[in-house]
Amino acid sequence: MRIGTLKESYTADAALFDSRTQKIWLAIASMLLMLFPFVASDYWLYLACLVAIHVASTTGLNILTGYTGLVSLGQAAFMGLGAYTVAILQTRWGTPFALNLLAGGLVAMVGGIIVGIPSLRVKGLYLAIATIAASFIAHFLFANLKITGGTAGISLPPARMLGIDLDTSFRLYWLIVPVTVLMLLAAANLFRTRIGRAFIAIRDRDISAEVLGIPLLRYKLLSFGLSSFYAGVAGGLWAYFFRVVTPESFPLTMSIFFLAAIIVGGMGSILGGILGAVFMTMVPELLKLIVDLLPGGAELTVFLSPVRLIIFGGLIIAFLVFEPLGLAEMWRRVRRFFHLWPFRN
Amino acid sequence: MEQPHISLKRRNLMLGAAAAGVAALTQPLSVLAQGADEIVIGGSIPMTGVFAFAGVGINAGMQDYVKIVNDAGGIKGRKIRYVPEDTGYKVDVSVATFKKLTSQNKINLYYGDSTGFAKTINPELDRNGQILMAGASFASELNDPKKYPNQFLVGPDYTEMFGILLKHIAKEKPGAKVAFVYSDSEFGRDPIEASEAAAKKLGLSVPIKIMTPAGSVDVSTEVIKLRRAAPDYTIFHGYILAPIPEFINQGKQQGMKSKWMGTFWTMDSSTVMKMGEAADGFMGVMPFRYYYDTEKAPMLEKIRAMRPEYQSTAYVQGFLAAMLFLESAKRCLDAGKPLSGPNLKAALNSLKDFDTGGLIGVPITISGNSIPVGRVYQADMKAQKMVAASDWIKL
Repeated sequence: MRIGTLKESYTADAALFDSRTQKIWLAIASMLLMLFPFVASDYWLYLACLVAIHVASTTGLNILTGYTGLVSLGQAAFMGLGAYTVAILQTRWGTPFALNLLAGGLVAMVGGIIVGIPSLRVKGLYLAIATIAASFIAHFLFANLKITGGTAGISLPPARMLGIDLDTSFRLYWLIVPVTVLMLLAAANLFRTRIGRAFIAIRDRDISAEVLGIPLLRYKLLSFGLSSFYAGVAGGLWAYFFRVVTPESFPLTMSIFFLAAIIVGGMGSILGGILGAVFMTMVPELLKLIVDLLPGGAELTVFLSPVRLIIFGGLIIAFLVFEPLGLAEMWRRVRRFFHLWPFRN
Repeated sequence: MEQPHISLKRRNLMLGAAAAGVAALTQPLSVLAQGADEIVIGGSIPMTGVFAFAGVGINAGMQDYVKIVNDAGGIKGRKIRYVPEDTGYKVDVSVATFKKLTSQNKINLYYGDSTGFAKTINPELDRNGQILMAGASFASELNDPKKYPNQFLVGPDYTEMFGILLKHIAKEKPGAKVAFVYSDSEFGRDPIEASEAAAKKLGLSVPIKIMTPAGSVDVSTEVIKLRRAAPDYTIFHGYILAPIPEFINQGKQQGMKSKWMGTFWTMDSSTVMKMGEAADGFMGVMPFRYYYDTEKAPMLEKIRAMRPEYQSTAYVQGFLAAMLFLESAKRCLDAGKPLSGPNLKAALNSLKDFDTGGLIGVPITISGNSIPVGRVYQADMKAQKMVAASDWIKL
């Protein structure tokens, strides 16, 4: 039983993990993540990798939209930039995957900074449209440049680590999940620094932030750059995961998917990004499994498939109506409940 | 301070959701009991999304053929089980479906829903070595037995479809001018380059190639360009319906005399009939017979007896896919070979002058990854039917 948390210093208050219980739970979660590949089937491993890639990209968008308040619908395009960079480097020069992923992130970062330039002048919906335009340009380049293989795209060989081909979900898990965890830790730490606080100040009121001496353009571009870096690395992981990159791999709907993930999960919260990505990826799959439990076989699949989509859509609407602060807020409520239990419920 | 607390209703809702989640999670862990002597066909089928019109037909076709074989006692006493799942025509969902179905069943044969999926899953098929796959894609890239050794196309690839149309044109009007109108997508661009060269070889000219966004509506400037080029034939590719009717309507209004043509996904009877009166005479390549075809076809008669209402060409495609799958399995078992990907593919490639029961009008031979046969059909709007405009053309 524990009743609240006691902070005795500013350092304790700003700590990344603020209580012992939290640290224990995180240790348990890490253990479970390590054990998971050994007990899960190929299907669950596949989904775990996909979720991890989505988490990485969603966290990137959360830095930009959730923490800096700049709406973007170009996240999928930046993922595409990262994926193509990795695919080109891997197929042409066979450089090590770590270098490729870093290069993917950096190329996407440059793309993000360029797209972010209008952000000083335009905000909200206007910025969203500017980023959509960027994704059209990216699509055009992917489909028409010679180096990207045109509409047929690029098929790439698997990543290699210590002489082992990472060609199964089990092996890829050990690449994708640690990279995502590292990125999450970096993002969580970011908001304990001067840069992260500047982002939050810009989100809360950009004019006040400027008055306080925060150079808006530099920080907005930095936020775009960081967000795109995350997308680029996620795109690189995506490329190694699917091993085919085509211009149609990163449609606009994918950007909407990430935006929906941070809204459903909770904007401006690292946990929100994680929960949102998990929700958006897993709920359709879980609904599929529930449908599978019903008797009726192939005939029923035809009728129930659209119903599943309707339920998924309904769930998103329900979340937005009943918990506009997202899944992260629900989780905070649950935590608060246990903090005070059994004295208050 | 007043702490917000979880209301009873909300708690119950969360508990309910958690229970449903747990129930769903535990299900796939219990691998379904499977008879050792079953033959299993898995399917990533798009029953929702933009391609649902085809997926529903494909699913019904596969189901029906499996039923016919099972009712006749299966193959060498082995029953067939068909396990489809909806993908919404999304590659990542399709791959998830593949992983799920293969981890729950010992899949021998698999039906994929898109070019993207076929390309993505290919390394896995090669690694796994247990599965022969076909699918809804007719991408020319897949027609490469070296690169895609465990896959095949249930018909001609897109370049071969163009080849069939061009051969027909060269015979009907030597030296004709042929325009290509295609969508800005992998699907649309697929056959264009190779077909331009093929046209030249046949003595035809390609005065204009027009690329539009898939499903675009306003095509007036493109129609003007097309009219200036005055082609004798215009082949549309990479669309299902829009913007084809718009092109035809505006082209006819501007006095164009071109004959209009399409490829497989445009050519279902119901799709062509939706184009309206202006599309009378619309032609295109079809690798299969239509549901209502009157020429002798015992398998079509069986289908008509099972399903009295019109079945789409996607249905016939699914039906034929299942037929070729199970014929390969039968040949493998007859030869006493295990059902592995390479064995199944070799059995498929042993098909020489195989009779499809009239689904394709001529006996077929599959030497590589495709069935390079097709026929040109033409829309008769008065009869609301597609009628044959050529013989079966083999490439």
